[in-house]
Amino acid sequence: MMLLAKAALGFTGTLALAGAYTFHEGVIRVDVDEYRAGGTHVHMWMPAAAVPLAMHLVPQEHLREAAEHSREALPIAHAIVKELKKYPDVELVEVVDGQQHIQIGTRHGKLQIDVEAPDQNVHLLLPLSTLEDVTRQLEANAPGV
Amino acid sequence: MSSKRGFYTRTALAAATTLLLIPGLALAQAPSAKTSSAPSTTSAKQDRWLHVRVISSDAKGETVRVNVPLELAEKVLPAINHDRLHGGKVKIDCAHVNDVDLRAMVEAIRTAKDGEYVTVQSNENDIRVAKQDNHLIVHVLDKGKSKKSQVEIKVPMKVVDALFSAGKDELDLVAALHALSAAGDTELVSVKGDDNTVRVWLDSKNVTD
Repeated sequence: MMLLAKAALGFTGTLALAGAYTFHEGVIRVDVDEYRAGGTHVHMWMPAAAVPLAMHLVPQEHLREAAEHSREALPIAHAIVKELKKYPDVELVEVVDGQQHIQIGTRHGKLQIDVEAPDQNVHLLLPLSTLEDVTRQLEANAPGV
Repeated sequence: MSSKRGFYTRTALAAATTLLLIPGLALAQAPSAKTSSAPSTTSAKQDRWLHVRVISSDAKGETVRVNVPLELAEKVLPAINHDRLHGGKVKIDCAHVNDVDLRAMVEAIRTAKDGEYVTVQSNENDIRVAKQDNHLIVHVLDKGKSKKSQVEIKVPMKVVDALFSAGKDELDLVAALHALSAAGDTELVSVKGDDNTVRVWLDSKNVTD
């Protein structure tokens, strides 16, 4: 019984540490609902820490290609994300047009984009630290770096 | 002894269960995508915010609200290198627009006393350019079309100076933003038309009123 308890403590301790590490950067949420026949419904929820890890697994040439395509936008995106981290809870853009409502802002250090329209709803929640990691990794893979 | 062992076993199992639940509890407390926490009205370190609000008076009542921290704009602008915008400076073909030397005109206005410099009154437009309390004021009333519109621009002279502080044929946007951040709360642009109302202003609040 004592051995079982020790094993349980060790297992759950490891699990808790792994869980804490996996979720230390927060969670990425993507919710897309299209209200039409055959419309898309995507509800994705994943630990943000998985993204930079997954990028290490992407073949180098694909990363270089992505960096090449977004060469002009990368420094801008990186600068925006870096600066946005100083403003963890702000509303940046709000557009209300009839039944459409778009909101872009930051909430608790995450970029939040909400689009509500009669035919579709899109909600994105992306940790700014993850976006910064991604832009940094892409910049590092840009040709000529 | 056996009761002590049972106590240790139960404690170990309880600790294991608690550890197992911690990530779940942390996630449960994490904000959802549709969190309704409202942003604070005034930023903690008195950041300067540029606000743009466009309200359409049509049936759909379109409204656009943009809030940008000036510091963010100052840091991001130099990262944009596209077309005429490079390093936070925008190239203008030449400082002579319609045969008017802009730089010379700005210099003349800067050194001149307060007053009204340009007044044009016609059937189509009323235009007024003036300097008042170290602000450049431009007032345009468009009355030529079927729909009237009124434009008011009020820019601190320090911002105008900073804008023209770059080399020849360049406008220094970053310097202008920096100068703007030192200005007090002010309304910069106001457009009132039959279709839309546009307002651009500067204050320390991170939300529009």
